[in-house]
Amino acid sequence: MQRTNVIIGLVFVIVALAVALLLVPFDVETSYFEKHRRQLNVGDSLAPTLAAAFILFGGLLLIMERCANTHKQLSWANFRYLLLFLLIILFSLSLMRWTGPLVTGLLNLFTADDLEYRPLRDTTPWKHLGFFFGGGFLIASLISLVDGKMTIRAVSISVIAIFAMIAVYDLPFDDLLLPPNGDV
Amino acid sequence: MKKLLIAGVCAFGLVAGSAVSAMAEWAPSGPMKMMIAFKAGGGADTQARMIAEALEERHGWKVIPENVTGKGGANLARALKNEPNNGSAFGIAITDTFGYGMVSAGDKAGFTQADFTPLTTTAGFQMGVVALTSKGWNSWDDLVAAAKGGQEIRFGAMSPKLADLAYLLGQNAGIDLNIVMVKGGKGVMNGLNAGDLDIGWGAGIQAKAVKAGDMVNLVSGISSKLVVSPDAPTMGELGIDFNSDGYFLFTAPAGLSQEARDAIASAIGDIVNDPSTKAGGFIAKAFGGPVTISGAELDKVMADAESSAGALMAASE
Amino acid sequence: MGVFDYIQLGLEAVFLGPEFFSLLGIPISITLAMVFFGFLTGIAVGSTPGLAGPMAMAIALPILISVFGFHPDALLPIFGFLIGIMKGATVGGAVPAILFNTPGTPDAYMTTLDGYPLAQKGKAKKALKLAHFSSVSGDTFSDVVLIICAPFLAILVERYLDLPEKTSLLILSFAFIAAVIGNSVGKGLISMGLGLLAAYVGTGEDIYPRLSFGTQELARGFPVVTAVLGVLILGEIFKSIEDLWREKKQNGQINVIEQSGDQNLHWADIKRYAPYIGRSAVIGTVIGALPGVGSTLAATLGYTAGRRQYQKNKNANDPNFGEGAPEGIAATEAANSSVSGANLIPVLSLGIPGNAAAVFLILAAESIGGFNPGPGVFKIPSSGVNTELVIAFGIFTTMFFANALNWTIGGYIMRSMGVMIRIPKHILLPIVLLLTLTAIYVEQTRMEAMWFAIGFGVLGYLMRRIGMSPLPFVIAFILGGRLEDTARQAFQATGGDYFFLFTSPVSFIFMLLALAVIVYTARHKKVQSE
Repeated sequence: MQRTNVIIGLVFVIVALAVALLLVPFDVETSYFEKHRRQLNVGDSLAPTLAAAFILFGGLLLIMERCANTHKQLSWANFRYLLLFLLIILFSLSLMRWTGPLVTGLLNLFTADDLEYRPLRDTTPWKHLGFFFGGGFLIASLISLVDGKMTIRAVSISVIAIFAMIAVYDLPFDDLLLPPNGDV
Repeated sequence: MKKLLIAGVCAFGLVAGSAVSAMAEWAPSGPMKMMIAFKAGGGADTQARMIAEALEERHGWKVIPENVTGKGGANLARALKNEPNNGSAFGIAITDTFGYGMVSAGDKAGFTQADFTPLTTTAGFQMGVVALTSKGWNSWDDLVAAAKGGQEIRFGAMSPKLADLAYLLGQNAGIDLNIVMVKGGKGVMNGLNAGDLDIGWGAGIQAKAVKAGDMVNLVSGISSKLVVSPDAPTMGELGIDFNSDGYFLFTAPAGLSQEARDAIASAIGDIVNDPSTKAGGFIAKAFGGPVTISGAELDKVMADAESSAGALMAASE
Repeated sequence: MGVFDYIQLGLEAVFLGPEFFSLLGIPISITLAMVFFGFLTGIAVGSTPGLAGPMAMAIALPILISVFGFHPDALLPIFGFLIGIMKGATVGGAVPAILFNTPGTPDAYMTTLDGYPLAQKGKAKKALKLAHFSSVSGDTFSDVVLIICAPFLAILVERYLDLPEKTSLLILSFAFIAAVIGNSVGKGLISMGLGLLAAYVGTGEDIYPRLSFGTQELARGFPVVTAVLGVLILGEIFKSIEDLWREKKQNGQINVIEQSGDQNLHWADIKRYAPYIGRSAVIGTVIGALPGVGSTLAATLGYTAGRRQYQKNKNANDPNFGEGAPEGIAATEAANSSVSGANLIPVLSLGIPGNAAAVFLILAAESIGGFNPGPGVFKIPSSGVNTELVIAFGIFTTMFFANALNWTIGGYIMRSMGVMIRIPKHILLPIVLLLTLTAIYVEQTRMEAMWFAIGFGVLGYLMRRIGMSPLPFVIAFILGGRLEDTARQAFQATGGDYFFLFTSPVSFIFMLLALAVIVYTARHKKVQSE
């Protein structure tokens, strides 16, 4: 257990040094203190460097702290889960973002219409397409993940939940945009 | 101020006359995104949201406000210039964003005036140097005397341009000022009230306190006298060639069609100039009345804002 | 205008505000209605294992802002709802703890120790009644302390602290929060440093948005909601779903225990438990007033103090603590409930949030505008009205209205919430995940915001996995901008003095204290664990 803390401490010491010595000098324009047009000011580099100093100090303390332990440990299994989880989210949000434009594009292929999603993003049912499929996929797949199998129940629960959310966020409010309609 | 108001009203009249027909033709193809460069809940934000509401009521245009704050409007400018230029996106900032703010940033600004189609202004700033009455200064001279007597003076400013003007004021009077940068007019008011600042710029937010006698305007930062404090000298009267004249500005990405530009500008102008609307009433109360400059007149104002910025920077270096 | 005028205005703002409906000819203001709905939501959420008050606050906030708009008039109804949730969740947490041995909120863990054994003995209803009584007593006591202390603290700060001292006070609060939250000072400091770092992305004085890698996406910085909701809520959801996935599904069987005998809470009972409630209420209130020390610690301390007292006084055949002693419930519930009111002392007087619920109140104030928690709130101008002070007294009024609801109907509602345990967590959590993402999108209207939140969710997940509390991160994120601004202003105001933090005695003492807190806690925690 002592070892875990040392590793975490080391990781953050490295992070802190990287931020203070690489990131801040290269991605901040003004230095720690800056003479800007006749007045000496605190520059933009000071605060992030101070933040890095806190992380560094914390990391060093953690290395030296004798077992401030909590029986918590990261394992590779955690990272595998995280990867799976993020893939599900990535796919869901992509569905959310692109279903609407994709459907209009497809319709344009088969019909003579020249639909564009952007002007339609505030019209039912267009504005709900992405949210319905993306959000529905997210809920159904996460329920199924824990259940260990895809069930009709999971799918129907997600459909009901999505309709409920549309009812809460969209129907009563004229000026709220459900995802992804603020972007497209 | 009055002169400007008249100029504004005339300009508006010209545009409105020619735009009646255009307005009938032009309408946005879908919802319009209104970017707001100010923090939610402040006076400037309230103004923008009221205009958005009125646009929806009067014209049936669906307007969705979104706050894009930071960097004195530069964040808004950088986000807005990449939006579609068909009238489905526009924003409100201040003229200084495209004047002093842009010029002082140089190449790092990431935008130029050519990236935008300015629509209309809505109101000017009743900018003054404010102090608490309890400080005992009734005029700029009192303050200068106090500073010369050895008192350290902290001067709150909410933009680099105002910091330069504050510096010029001090230089002109032969006193040293500790210029403190704060966030927005509300920041100046809080700083004054908490005793963290001695004086500071107020863009009109101080009017109520000045009328109540809690605060006093020592100097008018604009080219004309302040409505609430006609006795405060202007910068010009103190012998300084620069002032803080500026406006709230609605603007859209470059390449907006003339038709759309006129339609949106006059729709906003109509609302702002009508004191019976919520927005119009609010602007009259909070910003000392509407100033709607649009079309060619506005192009000139924008060009001036850019050219005068360099001179101010050189003078206060 | 004097203090009493403001109290009156505050009362009027709540009771005589815009009418929502009228009950038997008496108009009910929208704020009162919102407190009521928030309170109901809070109890329901608190008694659902896996949900917590802050989650409901996070999801409700964007909806509330859309309903009421970005206007100072929106403040009281929205605060009312959030405060209702906060108070409801506090009492709700005891329900599944007592009935099913599952704490509804983390701070109700100690309640399971005696509550569940009592339920097994057929005294569930009585246990619930006692939990409710203790909880409301502690809460009310804490609110009274808040109202008395917050204004004075604010006035002291305003009168005696200049910009350099305000900077060092912030640093002291940071040091304190990093040191006391969680079980390791090192991890606390790291969490805080990360929070500050995140706050500094895209901000700054120069026109180039620092640390943005030249991208437009990062140029505007991370929106507060994405960081707060990501680390606090999404991180928790990510972790809980994994836990469920690993355990597979828990079997849904719930044992219902036959209840028997006298279930009423009598005057004699109250007299007997009052010392435990009183002691815990004081402990909880003191703990709550310190930023960052949570209700879980208060519950632990209250329980421990109660046990010590109990061992001295108990009869030989009374059950021990942990075997179904009603005193255990009283000590725990009074302690964890009295944290919430006192926690608003640093929020209202200094603008420094101390726990997750306070974070959401600050978030609400920041999103709506027109109310800046901090010393300026309590200033009484020589003429004109300080509207923020009216709001502050309005907030106090909503708190007492919520307490009144809690005293009168809270117990009945609470005891009907046993069914919430039947909602399977693995169905609830994915829905809450999407709700949270939607809430973020609705406020920010750009996909990046959802991605930022998910990124922060991953961070929150990892922090939880390595036993690092996410709360210092969130508090540092919220206060990071203020720390930099105040320091910058102090530097400019002192005419560019590099040692501005050490030139005034008050500021110097604050800095010394900050160092002392870190060193002392680091050594103390080390000794403790050896």
